[in-house]
Amino acid sequence: MKVGRIAVLISLVIAAAARADAPGVFAITNGSVHPVSGPEIRNGVVIVRNGLIEAVGSNVAVPPDATVIDAAGGHVYPGLIDAHTELGFSRRTPSESRQPQERQPQERQPEPTAATVAAETISVTTADLDARRRTGVTTVVAVPSAGIFSGQSVVLNLSDGEPASRVIRTPAAVHASFATRPAWTFPDSLMGVIAHLRQTFLDAQHHAAARTAYDRNPAQPRPAVSPELDALLPVVRRELPIVMVADSEEMIRRAQAIAREFSLRLIVSGAREAFGMSAQELRGVPVLVSVDWPAAPTDQAEREEQPLRTIRRRVLAPTTPGVLAGNGVQFALVSGTTAAREFLPGIRKAIANGLTAGDALRAVTLTPARVFGVDRQLGSLERGKIANVVITDQPIFERAAKVTELLVDGLRVRVQAAEEEARDRSPVNGTWNLTVLAPQGNISIAVTLRAETGRVTGTYSGDRGSGEITGGFLDRRALQFTISAQLDAETHDWVFRGTITDDEIEGTVTTNLGSFEFSGSKEP
Amino acid sequence: MKIFLGILLLLAPALAAQERVTAITNATVLTVTNGVIERGTVLIRGSKIAAVGSNVTVPAGAHVIDASGRYLFPGIIDTHSHAAVEGRVNEASLPNTGMVRVADALTADDISAYRQLAGGTTTALVLHGSANAIGGQGQIVKWKWGRPIAEWVVPDAPRTIKFALGENPKSANFRPPPGIDRQYPATRMGVEEVVRKSFVDAHDYIARWEEYEARRKRGEQVIPPRRDLLMETMAGILRGNIDVHSHAYRADEILMLMDVARDQGFQVRAFQHVLEGYKVAREMMAAGVGGGTFIDWWGYKAEAYDATPYNVALMVRNGVLTSVNSDSDELARHLNYDAAKAMKYGGLTEEEAMRLCTINAAKLLRLDHRIGSIEAGKDADLAIWTGHPLSTYSRVETTFIEGEIYFDRTTDLRQREERAREKADLLAKERARRPE
Amino acid sequence: MRLLQIFVALLFTAPLTAQSLIPNNPGVKGTVAIRNATIYPVTSAPIANGTIVFSNGVITAVGADVTLPEGATVIDGSGLSVYPGLIDSGTTVGLVEIDSVAGTVDTTELGTMNPNARADVAVNPHSEVIPVTRVNGITNVIVAPEGGVVSGQSALMQLAGWTPTEMTVKAPAAMHLRFPRLRSAPAWARRDDESERVRRRTYRAELDGLRDLFRDARAYSRAHAARTIDRNVRRFDRDLVLEALVPVVEGRVPVAVEANLERDIREALKFVDELELKAILVGGQDVAKVLPDLKQRGIPVILGPILALPPREDDPYDLLFTNAAALHQAAIPFAFRTNDAHNARNLPYHAASSVAFGLPKEEALKAVTIYPAQIWGVADRLGSLEPGKSANLFVSDGDPLEIRTNVLRIFIAGEEIPLDSRHTLLYEKFRRRP
Repeated sequence: MKVGRIAVLISLVIAAAARADAPGVFAITNGSVHPVSGPEIRNGVVIVRNGLIEAVGSNVAVPPDATVIDAAGGHVYPGLIDAHTELGFSRRTPSESRQPQERQPQERQPEPTAATVAAETISVTTADLDARRRTGVTTVVAVPSAGIFSGQSVVLNLSDGEPASRVIRTPAAVHASFATRPAWTFPDSLMGVIAHLRQTFLDAQHHAAARTAYDRNPAQPRPAVSPELDALLPVVRRELPIVMVADSEEMIRRAQAIAREFSLRLIVSGAREAFGMSAQELRGVPVLVSVDWPAAPTDQAEREEQPLRTIRRRVLAPTTPGVLAGNGVQFALVSGTTAAREFLPGIRKAIANGLTAGDALRAVTLTPARVFGVDRQLGSLERGKIANVVITDQPIFERAAKVTELLVDGLRVRVQAAEEEARDRSPVNGTWNLTVLAPQGNISIAVTLRAETGRVTGTYSGDRGSGEITGGFLDRRALQFTISAQLDAETHDWVFRGTITDDEIEGTVTTNLGSFEFSGSKEP
Repeated sequence: MKIFLGILLLLAPALAAQERVTAITNATVLTVTNGVIERGTVLIRGSKIAAVGSNVTVPAGAHVIDASGRYLFPGIIDTHSHAAVEGRVNEASLPNTGMVRVADALTADDISAYRQLAGGTTTALVLHGSANAIGGQGQIVKWKWGRPIAEWVVPDAPRTIKFALGENPKSANFRPPPGIDRQYPATRMGVEEVVRKSFVDAHDYIARWEEYEARRKRGEQVIPPRRDLLMETMAGILRGNIDVHSHAYRADEILMLMDVARDQGFQVRAFQHVLEGYKVAREMMAAGVGGGTFIDWWGYKAEAYDATPYNVALMVRNGVLTSVNSDSDELARHLNYDAAKAMKYGGLTEEEAMRLCTINAAKLLRLDHRIGSIEAGKDADLAIWTGHPLSTYSRVETTFIEGEIYFDRTTDLRQREERAREKADLLAKERARRPE
Repeated sequence: MRLLQIFVALLFTAPLTAQSLIPNNPGVKGTVAIRNATIYPVTSAPIANGTIVFSNGVITAVGADVTLPEGATVIDGSGLSVYPGLIDSGTTVGLVEIDSVAGTVDTTELGTMNPNARADVAVNPHSEVIPVTRVNGITNVIVAPEGGVVSGQSALMQLAGWTPTEMTVKAPAAMHLRFPRLRSAPAWARRDDESERVRRRTYRAELDGLRDLFRDARAYSRAHAARTIDRNVRRFDRDLVLEALVPVVEGRVPVAVEANLERDIREALKFVDELELKAILVGGQDVAKVLPDLKQRGIPVILGPILALPPREDDPYDLLFTNAAALHQAAIPFAFRTNDAHNARNLPYHAASSVAFGLPKEEALKAVTIYPAQIWGVADRLGSLEPGKSANLFVSDGDPLEIRTNVLRIFIAGEEIPLDSRHTLLYEKFRRRP
């Protein structure tokens, strides 16, 4: 553990040296520059030199040694910061194994503790980097999501080069959640988790006091070393914030109660149901709102059967950022546990639900930088800050916006190809042979689908004629599209709603004759 | 100016609640503690009952509810509920989880609270489950549906803890999943040992702290003992700061815990369920232990085979402070039925029966100075019934907690449509917002 | 070692399966007259100061002006009431002694299709549950198997008799179905999960399996009929599963279909239509949403338990309390059940709670007496106090739907049964503890 930490320190030193040597002078010209720290500069110039921003303005001379990046018609932003991700940690699924009816022997993976240092255990693949960068994200806060204490997070720049050189700040915070352990392991209930949290903070306080007392008077039993409790000392001393995952109002209040009891610097992450909370209730608590919005069940009957309470929370969740902005609450937008490609669509949904684009931008740039104390380096286009710059062809939160250029640590990163590649890899792409289970008998329809940005296009043919599909979209694995079904002289819209699992699809088709089940598989 | 107005508007309901005077007139008032008042008036000022009687002057400006032909009954108190707990109701991963608090996991989302209001129930002791010998600390709440959970908590209520004896803590009727070992204990012997050892440890814990304090006062630089939340809880019981409510069925285990309590120096406040309380009612009486029981349930477990509906009457006749409890979101809606059954099975008087779900329960919870009867000075927790609450044909019209209406049948009927409309609107909004 | 285990097991279970020591009936069927009582025949207006006479188990006279027969045992009913015995239209009385002790539970057979399971063969006439139930005025119950999709055949039993045969009034009373249910995924389940597919697949498989089974039974019935007429039709082996369904597909025995949510009820009605079955809807929590559909088909409903929680969070709190009134207004026949064993004695209170929400009192009483007798096809013998019917009745000090009312005497098939039960005996024992 110790060795690892020293290694990071050393590599930080090396990284700093390496960056100083890095060549790279760029002049980004003719674009609309959004510094975030100040008003938009139409036709502005951003000069990048040796990894840092050298100048930002409308009347900035292009240095002769600069490579010019012409952003005409485009928009220039500071690189986005996603302030809560699991990037670099393989997704474990404790929530699945926690289901009460699960009766298989549970595989016990070692749970992270407060002593788990993300900067040491993180393992970022090229694919991870690509996936984040193509959404304009240049910096993440990364930490595993498992466990009650999930460890110490790292603020990481998504640059190329040595992994250790990407670290902006470690530890950024200690992370905790109310996640229960598997049944029959303490604590396996919410109230047990809270008791455990409380005891752990007490133990951390005691650990420090014991050590102090021992140092003054060694003639008594020597307290044992405890990396887990040591790791919490900066938290109980308010030197380091604690990020607690809490979605509902009540969970947020529970997190606040613990923070109050132990005088902790709390950051709430999740908060998707905080739309009902007042400014007063959230005063002094930065909030990382996860844009992993709850999805409606694909089945209509099931959707309607849900209680009003659930529907209210689901439908109103995306209004949370707008409400928080209106209440003057300090908040960032984060992807949380959702996939990288859901980040921008999630932000767009918040904007569709009352958040202004300006507030959204701030929530993924300067605010998260401030929350994690890295706003001297990151979060805006200002002289002296790290040159994380994203250039888009349209305003960044527009659905069709494309990242055309990305600079991380002052170096250009290719993103365009990656995005197309991602679309090519969409699970929906291909030809699907579908069977509709109608009472009159099975109906066969083949559809060839392709994912575009935010939608699905394609053609169909089979027992009910052929043509182009309409209204196609993919929401994670929920696919919907419409065909014009022809039988004899009549044409009717048939709306297919299904869920893709690997190469299979199942769902319901709503027709003029009623709703039928359908299923199908993708041609290899 | 605008801000000032806003503040005024915010304060308005709070002020109104304090000043609000409600008079419920012409009702048959079942005070429970002071007999029945025909054509009586109950005057509510703010959160308290201001006056009760047949000659109460209704002050000008009071909101008057004419309850002619109706009955007024105290809010029913349930001494055993598991409603409004988020997540599992058991932290059964260890034989003793006394550090766990139900209060930490309460949620204002549980519709059971509202349904109970519709049955005239206003207060409950929300308890941990019974899967381990010492489960966790309970919380007394009022079902203030629609208010944040912090307001449900009865702030000055005694602290409580739930123990459990018999089949459940010895895991008689369930097994852990494959790959996980059975947990100690597996017999009533083991349950006794878990309880006894917890208190023996707590005595040591107290002694350890006393030693530390003594040495510290002498100016020694000593490491303080670890603050252990479980041991703090056990010590709290020994100091009389936490009331023990113990789930128990059989007579032997009831006697066992009373023995351990005597040995270890703590008091059992009440046995919960206490199906065989009738067999040892005089021992319970002698030890000053009460009982919260249900009337009907029997035969669902071996230890419930000797349960009888006469249990209540026998305990009451032996001088045991007895209430009827629910342990069920369903039964909690009609504890008045269970109270009535004590008249049928064992011949309690009407007043004795009414006490079972009101003042006796309040006494078991040590809140009888505030709730459990219709008396001036008590919390205005009461319900207007269409008939006598011990009649199966009666239902609740309106339920008050601390002077506020939390259930009203007319409002309920109206809100059904409103809620349906809101649901349809939200779903429509969601459909419209789905990607095109 | 193994012997020892068996020995221990016996030791452990022996006291649990102990049989009730209460006599099942004294075996005296003389002539009895109860006079000066308020008599509630149920099928006609109450008779103040009336007399009821029964002899050899059968009611011979009911009225205000009845001559007492010679040699009759005369009971003075001054200030008391006489009611027909109550009928619980769905219980597991006699099939279960202690729920958590598997050896005493015979409610649920393995597998999903058990039309050949018969409740009447597994009823323990000496169960402690029987006296506990009958001392509250319940003289007859439907004992129905549980579980699976086709749970098995129920029997209408009277709560007196020394053998199951003596107890049986009618068997089979109905073929019981727990209609397949498509349920929303529980809150903790992931939406796009494999479980979603499994749920749908299981549901479809159950529905298909049910249809196939009944179609097979119909074919079996036709084949059997063909062979009865023409011995040249090829012989085939008997199949007890299908044979059990023959009276059902031939419309001689009803299916009692348990379905609660609207979509399940509608699916069940489709099934009943398709297979042309005589049906009784059981449970029916959403019954108010399908009234015209039931009315049009003439399908009666067994409601209950009423003292139960509504199935969905958003349901009105009184959903189950108001169903009976809705059925009454729609003139759809209905009766109540407790769906219980140990607490079947609370049947009258399930009925009463509907009165608080709009059901006329008399209707509530009928729904635990004459209506169930009609629905189960025994109204010629049970359900009211009329000459010619079985003398299943009780004397009380008031309205039996009120908890505070005490049942004072009870007669089943004309024999007076002592009002003892495990509970009264324990009470008497410990009341006298020195």
